[in-house]
This record gives sequence, structure tokens and C-alpha cells, in this order.
Amino acid sequence: MFPSYTENPSNVCFEGQDPDETILLLLRAHPITNLSWIIPAVIIFFIPFLTPPILNNLGFGGILNLPATYISAALVINYLLVLVITFEGFLYWYFNVYIVTSKNIVDIDFHSILFKNIDLAPLKNVEDTSSNMGGILKAIFNYGHVIVQTAGASENIDFANVPNPHKVSDFILDRVHIAGGH
Amino acid sequence: MQAGNLDLFQSPFILEVLKFVILLILFFYAIFALLIARQVDLMSKTLITPVSPVVKAISIIHGGFAVGFIILVFGLL
Repeated sequence: MFPSYTENPSNVCFEGQDPDETILLLLRAHPITNLSWIIPAVIIFFIPFLTPPILNNLGFGGILNLPATYISAALVINYLLVLVITFEGFLYWYFNVYIVTSKNIVDIDFHSILFKNIDLAPLKNVEDTSSNMGGILKAIFNYGHVIVQTAGASENIDFANVPNPHKVSDFILDRVHIAGGH
Repeated sequence: MQAGNLDLFQSPFILEVLKFVILLILFFYAIFALLIARQVDLMSKTLITPVSPVVKAISIIHGGFAVGFIILVFGLL
């Protein structure tokens, strides 16, 4: 439903896309990277079940004698926290994308709330690409970084934690050759 | 010690303090939820996909719930 590697995606466009520009490759971080927010969300989800015995053991069982409305409010806050961690985690994963179009390479980043960064490099300015995969999870799930070196003063574009990094690197270079770049 | 704890958490002063703390947390949460709604709006305009309107609707409903909880908790506690 939410793929992290899509060639020629349909029904997708981005801000600043030219009418004659087509998206050839749409990338997101590998889904396994979502564990960094899924695990805390699951732990916080189970906190209300674990808290009463812990409080009783520590001698603070009196807290549980609060009126039921207060306990309910605390539960609501706990599950709102789970909700916001889940929602924010999904948003960052879903909207932080790397796009290869027929003209450009686009890196759309949302680092924090209300902070947006879009790196854009024309394919003809791409000089070199490199990919690397290091670590147990990356080796098992086949994801890693692709670094796109561009000519001029512009910064290199880093595709972080994308699936099939070697394939992506090769895909970009093939497109650069077709576009008549270096 | 247990009896002391029991008395402490039944005292009106402690309950008032707890009510204030809960309302403060919910107030900040509501601000955060409204910021998320704005952020989703920004994201949806940057990357337009079939999922974008759904996510946008969820963020608005979430913001509404966050504000609603403040009123609900204020009334209940």
C-alpha cells in the first residue's frame, strides 16, 4: 500500500514539477526504519498495564486511589501520546521522499515541524553516484545510502536508507547518460 | 505509608494541582496538534499523492479532538 521503491509511479506529483517532467523513480526510507518510532509507541501503549503493579511494589499504590476521572484523563494523555508518535512517524516517513525525474533529482525533507528542505539537482549536473550498505539490518533488509555527487557549488544529495541502493545508484547513472550528462 | 498516600491523593489541593497539570498538558498537545495540521497541509502541497487528502483530513480531525479534550476534561474534573 505504501511502497518505498516505485518506478514510474502514477497519481504522484510534487511542487515545482514541470508539465513535461515525468517521475521515473520515487523512493522513501525502507519501512524497517519505522521501527525507531514503532517500538517507543508500543512501549508507551503498554505503560498503563505495567504501571499499577510497579506503583504497588514501590509503595505508591495510593496514586491509584485517585478519582476515576483523573485516571481516565491520564489514560487519554497516554494514548494521545501514542497517537501523535505514530502519526508523526508515519508523516515523516511518507513525505520524506527522493525523486528521480526525467530532468532532475529531487530530495524532499521535512526535518521537524514546519521545516521543509528541497534539494534539486539537474540530471546533467550529476557527476557520480555511490551507494553503501553497512550494518546487520541494512544487510538483511537490503537498504542503504546513495550519494549523488553534483557539479558546481551545490551540495551532494544523499538518499538515506533507501531500498536497493546499488540498483538506485545504477538507475540514476543510466538516466544521467540518457540525459546527456557526465 | 499506604494510608498517608491515600489521604494525600484525595486532598482537594492535590486534585486541583493535578487538574491544572492535566489541562496544561492537553493545552500544549492541542497547540502541537494544530501545528501538525499545518505541517500536513504543507506536506500535502509539496508531495501530491492519493493519500494526501486522507492524511490531511485525519490531521484536522485530530486537531479538533485535541481541542475538544481540553473542554471535556475541564468539564469533567
